[in-house]
Amino acid sequence: MASKEPEHEPRADEEETTAAEDEDTGAQVAPIVKLEEVTVTTGEEHEEAILDLKSKLYRFDKDGNQWKERGAGTVKFLKHKESGKVRLVMRQSKTLKICANHLVLPTMTVTEHAGNDKSCVWHATDFAEGELKDELFCIRFASVENCKLFMETFQEVAESQQQKEDNEDASAAAGLLEKLSVEEKKTEEKTEEKEEKKTEEKEEKKTEEKAEEKEEESEKKEPASST
Amino acid sequence: MALPNQQTVDYPSFKLVIVGDGGTGKTTFVKRHLTGEFEKKYEPTIGVEVHPLDFFTNCGKIRFYCWDTAGQEKFGGLRDGYYIHGQCAIIMFDVTARLTYKNVPTWHRDLCRVCENIPIVLCGNKVDVKNRQVKAKQVTFHRKKNLQYYEISAKSNYNFEKPFLYLARKLAGNTDIHFVESPALAPPEVHIDLAAQQIHEAELAQAANQPLPDDDDDTFE
Repeated sequence: MASKEPEHEPRADEEETTAAEDEDTGAQVAPIVKLEEVTVTTGEEHEEAILDLKSKLYRFDKDGNQWKERGAGTVKFLKHKESGKVRLVMRQSKTLKICANHLVLPTMTVTEHAGNDKSCVWHATDFAEGELKDELFCIRFASVENCKLFMETFQEVAESQQQKEDNEDASAAAGLLEKLSVEEKKTEEKTEEKEEKKTEEKEEKKTEEKAEEKEEESEKKEPASST
Repeated sequence: MALPNQQTVDYPSFKLVIVGDGGTGKTTFVKRHLTGEFEKKYEPTIGVEVHPLDFFTNCGKIRFYCWDTAGQEKFGGLRDGYYIHGQCAIIMFDVTARLTYKNVPTWHRDLCRVCENIPIVLCGNKVDVKNRQVKAKQVTFHRKKNLQYYEISAKSNYNFEKPFLYLARKLAGNTDIHFVESPALAPPEVHIDLAAQQIHEAELAQAANQPLPDDDDDTFE
């Protein structure tokens, strides 16, 4: 599923100036701080990217009734390796700062932008700045295909999160049912197997109790030994 | 250096003074870094506006307190009074307006009277515009005065990170400093009730009809 667009190749005139610009013509100045290398954490270590596309993100300014640029860079869907939760994370090119960071929820829908077939819109409770904030987002891609791919992935993820919730509900319910039936069995038909299990449980309990007693005893002893 | 009412932080921070003629794009440049938006409308800055701007580097988080000063003389306020304790600076001019480059030596002189031996970056802004009045080869002031020079565009984001990176490297005397991914914290669970969701959907439908800002850039820098 993961696809990557080719990196932007600088235009000829950009390339020319870049070479000259990287030359340091600045004066020697005495440093005023000492900065040591630190371990860098992206926060994405336990996730894998489902999709990874170059794009430009906008947020809707309700007061001005207009879309405003939020950042240009890479948008990703990241799936957590253990929980299976998926979030959308977008980072600004070059500075690698976060422009968007929110979970993809089953209630979310993404729709086309009316005037631009390379872009689409959605609502999210965003956490990019470390606090939850309601945002209307619009994202624009380089091609109609990428926009379609993004929308399809978004919708698939949202639906899969619904199924995940359903499954969790179902397994929770199944667990409850099982418990009920076991208890019924316990009272109604006492099979040998159950008896065995029960005795096992009892033994476990006994050992636990003993352990607790011992702890209590040692606790009682402690004050004596400390004096 | 922070203003008295500004929170101090437990990571390195620097006072950055930004000067240059009115309309060269100082405020737009700072705003671009702060929120991502590109402000086309020109509203002259009165006096000074101070904005904290954080970056994540391989040597940890750093902060620039950007002192975005008025370029227009009549709104200058305290003028070089804002430069005191400046630890680094950006002098901005507009490559589509020759006069703004001609005035660079004056900005440089005034700055150096107050701030001695600080790292300074000269920025030629608006290089995305086809009709330049100041060509790259005509920019020579930085060589005479030992400044760093970058051609930038706040509109296309061309080189927009370079001035900060250069200053960070100089302030720390470490040429290996580079920007790294800022940590993407796990967003907390949210539960949206049906009523709120309906409001969001209605707002979204309305927003989807609003045009995006004019933009032909597909490089996404």
